[in-house]
Order: sequence, then C-alpha cells, then structure tokens
Amino acid sequence: MDWALIIKSLVTLGGLGLILGVILLFSSIKLAVKIDEREAKIRAALPGANCGACGYPGCDGLAAAIVAGKASLNACPVGGPAVAKRIGEIMGQDVTALEPKVAVLICRGGKDEAPSRFQYRGAENCRQATLLLGGPKACIYGCVGFGHCVTVCPVGAIKMGENRLPEIDEKKCIGCGKCVAECPKGTLTLIPRSKLVYLACVSRDRGKAVKDVCAVGCIACGLCVKVCPVGALRMERNLPVMDFEKCTDCGICVHKCPTRSFIDRAPGRPKASINPRCNGCAECVKVCQFKAIEGEPGKQHRLNPEKCIGCGQCVLVCPVKAIDLIGALGHSLKTV
Amino acid sequence: MNSAKIFLAAFLVNNIILMRFIGLCPFFGVSTAVSTSIGMSAAVLFVMLLASWVSYVLYHALLLPLGLVFLRTAVFILVIAALVQFVEMFLKKYVKNLYSAMGIYLPLITTNCAILAVTFFNINYKFNLLQATLFALGTAAGFALAIILFAAIRERLEDAPISPAFKGYPIAFIGAALVSLAFMGFTALFGIS
Amino acid sequence: MNNGPKPSRLSYLTSGIVKENPTLILMIGLCPTLATTVTARDGLGMALAASFVLVCSNVVVSAIRKIVPDSVRIPIFIIIISTFVTIIDYVMQAYQPDLYRVLGVFVPLIVVNCIILGRAEAFAYHHGIIDSFLDGLGKSIGFALVLFIMGTLREFFGSGTFFGKAVLPAAYRAQPMLFAIFPPGAFFLIGLLKALVNKTALGKRSQ
Repeated sequence: MDWALIIKSLVTLGGLGLILGVILLFSSIKLAVKIDEREAKIRAALPGANCGACGYPGCDGLAAAIVAGKASLNACPVGGPAVAKRIGEIMGQDVTALEPKVAVLICRGGKDEAPSRFQYRGAENCRQATLLLGGPKACIYGCVGFGHCVTVCPVGAIKMGENRLPEIDEKKCIGCGKCVAECPKGTLTLIPRSKLVYLACVSRDRGKAVKDVCAVGCIACGLCVKVCPVGALRMERNLPVMDFEKCTDCGICVHKCPTRSFIDRAPGRPKASINPRCNGCAECVKVCQFKAIEGEPGKQHRLNPEKCIGCGQCVLVCPVKAIDLIGALGHSLKTV
Repeated sequence: MNSAKIFLAAFLVNNIILMRFIGLCPFFGVSTAVSTSIGMSAAVLFVMLLASWVSYVLYHALLLPLGLVFLRTAVFILVIAALVQFVEMFLKKYVKNLYSAMGIYLPLITTNCAILAVTFFNINYKFNLLQATLFALGTAAGFALAIILFAAIRERLEDAPISPAFKGYPIAFIGAALVSLAFMGFTALFGIS
Repeated sequence: MNNGPKPSRLSYLTSGIVKENPTLILMIGLCPTLATTVTARDGLGMALAASFVLVCSNVVVSAIRKIVPDSVRIPIFIIIISTFVTIIDYVMQAYQPDLYRVLGVFVPLIVVNCIILGRAEAFAYHHGIIDSFLDGLGKSIGFALVLFIMGTLREFFGSGTFFGKAVLPAAYRAQPMLFAIFPPGAFFLIGLLKALVNKTALGKRSQ
C-alpha cells in the first residue's frame, strides 16, 4: 500500500478541486451581472413567444429595451392590452394598447380553383419553388401552397388545408407578422382583429388574364366599388383597396363580387326582420341590393330571409325603426 | 513535426468529427441551422484553446513531476467543467454580444468529447505548447467546417421529400456518410505521425 | 413524476434494451458507437468497459444522493465517473493491451459519454440503489447490443470475418467492402439501423 502515492493524489486532486471551487465562487460574486428587477418582472409579464413582432430580439430584448426607456410600454402586440397594462403597473406609467392584429390569407386560389402551369418536382418549400419561374402555379401572384408559413409560425397557428391553402387558427395566432414577412408571394397580411371583411386576391392582372388562371381571382371589374354603401373601396392597379376606417363590414361586396374574391370572417351574419311598426314607405326596398324586401306600398313589408345577407342598410334608412337585425350574437352593425 | 502540417492534419485529414468520430452529439444536435452551428463553433474554439493551455500546463507542471499521471482523466475533465463555467460568467459580464451569440452553447460543451479528446491528443502526440495550440486551432477549425457544412445540408433536407422512416436522424447520418466520404479524399495528403 | 402505476423493478432493466435504447432511441453515446465498432470484438470490448463505468457510477451516485447538494452535483458526478474510468483504463492497459491500443483515446473519453452522465443526472440521482443498478444494467445491455450489431456487420462486410475468424470465402476477403470499415460506412450503417427502428416504430403506431 503506497500510502505516499495515495496521500499525494488525494491532496493534489482535493487541492485542485478546492482551488477551482474558490475561483468559481469568487468569480460568481465579482462577475455577477446586476439585472434591474423591473426587467425581470416585465420579462415575466411578457408572453414569452420570442416572436420578434415588437422589433426587438425576443422578449428578453424587449424587457431590456423597456427598462432602458427605448421601447414603448405597449410595444408587444401579442400580449395586447392586458400585458401593456401590467407593464405599465411595473414601470409606474400609464399606457394605451395597440389594437391586436390577426394574420389572414389574401388568396383563395387553392388546387381546385387555380391550376398549375407545370409539374413541379423539387424541394417542397414556397420560397425555393418561387425561385423557379415564380412557382408552379398558373397565377404568378398567388399562394404557392407548400407551407413555408406553417414552418415559420412560432406558435403553430397555421396548418396546410386540403385545398393546398394554409389555414390560420385565429385563436392561436398572435399577430406577430412572421408569416407575412416570410411569404414569398405576399399572400399573407395582418388585419385588425375587429375587421371582418377583406379582399382575398393579390393579382395585378385584370379580366381574362385573371380568369384564365384562377376561378376566384379578382378581375378588376369594379363592381364592389359601385355597390359599397359607404364608398370604402377604390380601384388601384387592378385591385380594390379597402379603407378600414370607412368600411362597416356590411358584407355587400362579398356577395356582389362575381368571382367571390372577398372573404367574410364573421362567424355568423344576422338577418333583418320587419316588425309591425312598418308603415310601407318602401325606403328599405330602395337601398336593398339583394331584393330581399317585398310588399305593397303603404302595407307591412315582408323580408325574404333567403335573400337577406344581413348588411343592415335597410335598418339605417327606416324612418320608423321598423327593422331589426336578429341572430348572430355578437355581431353589431357599425355606423359611421 | 511541421507546424503547418499539424494544423492542416487536424483541420482536414484527421477531421475530428468526420474522420475521428469525436464530438458527434453536438454535431447532430446543433447542426439543424447554420446560425446555431456558427455560434457553437465559436464557443468550441474558445473553450478548446483555453482548455488545451490550462491542461497542458497542469499536466507538465504538476502531474508529471509528482508522478500522478493517472489522475489526468479526472483533472482534465474538472478543469474543462470549471473553465466553461468561468467563461460563461466572464462573457455574460464583459462581452455581452458574444454571450448572446454563443452563450447558450457553453453548458453543452462540458460533455463535448472533442475538448477532452484534444487535451489527451496533446499528451499522446507529445506536443510542445506551440504545437498543442496549433493542434487545438486546427481541430476547432475542422469542427467548425464540418458542422457548418453539415448544417447547410440539413437545412435543405428539411424540405426535401424523404420517406417517413428516413426523416430526421437516418437521412442526416447518410448525409454525414457522404460528407465523410468526401473528406476521406484528404487522407492522400498526410496524417499526423 | 406521477404518471400511471409505478414501473416495476424489472421494467427498469428491460426498458434500456429496446424501448429506451440509448443509442438508437435516445440518440446519445454516438461517438463510441461509430468509432469503436470496426470489428465485433472491439465493439463488445468498448461496451463492456462503458457498462462497467455506467453500472458502478449509477450505484455510487444513487448511494450518496441524499448527501450531495444540488448545486455541486455535476462536478461530484464527474469525479465519481472519472474514478471508474481511470480504473477501467488501467485495468484494460494491463490485461487487454491490444484492445486498449485499438480503442485508444475512447477509453478515457468514456468519462464524457452522454449516457453515463445522463443516467446519473436523470435517474440515479432520484432513485434507489437497486433501481439505479438495474437501470444502468439495462442501458448497458442495450448499448452493448447496438455496438455488437454494428461491429458484427462492419466486420462481416468490411473484412469477411467474425471475431477474427473468417466466415466469408477467401475471394471476398481479398477484396472486401472497405467502405464498411471506414468512417463513411459507419455513418451509413447507423443511418440504416435508425431508419429500421423508425420504420418499426411507425408500423407499430399505425396499428
């Protein structure tokens, strides 16, 4: 039993361990990074998705920027008003929140509506496919359908639908805008969550050029501009541009569009109902674009629920308040 | 041995990942994206150099004279573990951008066989301090080359139509086999004697 | 960790062989799997060395788990593991010098084998001695199984032998498939093995 060797090894190893331990202990004290405790609290209040929608590198970055005074308190669109309020409490300041947004697909050309120009054999990624002559779809503006947005969504809110168009789960979507930035065609966009009607086409062509490549593409006929009761639409480079401030989400454009290029996000639409106060003045018949009201002058008018789309224009013009919108709980008629 | 040869041999001919099979766990774990691979390579370079120097000094100044060579396994790994923790704290305080770029990989490096392997090779090949430095640099460069090349390949494999049984690790391994095959071409150059 | 009935003692042993095979399911401990399996004997030798360290360290870590504070547990594990690695290192040098020469630097590298540190951290630190022993044994058997299969296949195709004894005709052994012995062959083979595992798992899931 070589005791000398054993003692030597014990001392060396033990001594080394002790020295290393002391060095580490010393450095953990001297090199401690002081974090403002507000930063830790703010970081805890933030959703933690690290999506980058605020423009800072992750939630850590935003927390640091808020404490440094570089970022506004309501910079997190994902957390919304609740988080902004909490951050305001931590920082001891007042705050107004940004309106939360949701991502939507502004293209309706799936594999049933929009054919391909050629058979594509290659990496099944939208950005890579677009490099090859703009992608396999006949419409060069439309959604490629390989699901790049599915992979970049930080919360997994998108999945590929049967029709080769991405389906966005509005409950999961946090409105960070990552998919919008990554889509090579620009067929994803953010709209305010309260907005119900939007145009689902980005084609800059018109007429036959569009009809040849997509059954539901906007042909720039301009009918929507004419029928909009508040003049919220105007044609620009072969696409109607919607003024979100003016639009009341009445839904007339959705039904009048010959190619069904608009989408209505409302989970349900009400129907008009004429109550006995009606004096038969027929003002409502004049404004109804769907011929859903009929009746003799001076007599109680009847509503045809099959034709009514719930746009509410009749309600606005009725002088005796004889029309109500019923059904579709939660959908309220906006008045300008 | 010629200094340039030591570097080149460590870098290409005896590439630590593709020819020696050392450092495979981080190789397959971190190489899913080029950005993370670059961060990992930087961390490895840093720690590998420091670990080589410290272990070299400890071995020649302490273990060898005291006849405690058999303690080298324990001593080296302890040094590496302590070094990594120290480097993490140091970077966090003084070099914040570097920390945010590669800081998260530092704890992973403790169990990275490549670092410990280099410390052992320095002894087995009987290098002096300069040669050990070149060897560590070459190895780290070889690690970086292999992992970044492989990450670029894996990024493309993400979208390729691969049969379900091969998705993930199997196709990655086969990809590594092909890259390794390419690197075997370098063996015609020379090896470390 | 209360999910369902407590796993039986035996399941700790058997899970390491197939269901939680360290190399093919958990994907840890890849370095020795590829580097030391040029022949079946080398693979098995490596597996036995690693198994010795795994079982012993699991038992010791489990034995002292109550007195080791949480903050210094990793360095303590490392000291325990490196002790056993040093033991097996010198034992192998003395009694199996050719094996030691072949395995080279991979014997001391057992100390950073993810399987050993991983099981100490994930299992032995939270379970009793007998359970840790069985878990270590199970994972060792699983590890050894994979190394043995890899070693056998590579030796068979790469030199036409099994444990050094010729099993393929001399004509083959004169010009064997060297690809299997060299690094690319190792990667390729483990890729195929993993694909086989995936296919079996997929098949079971669809049933």
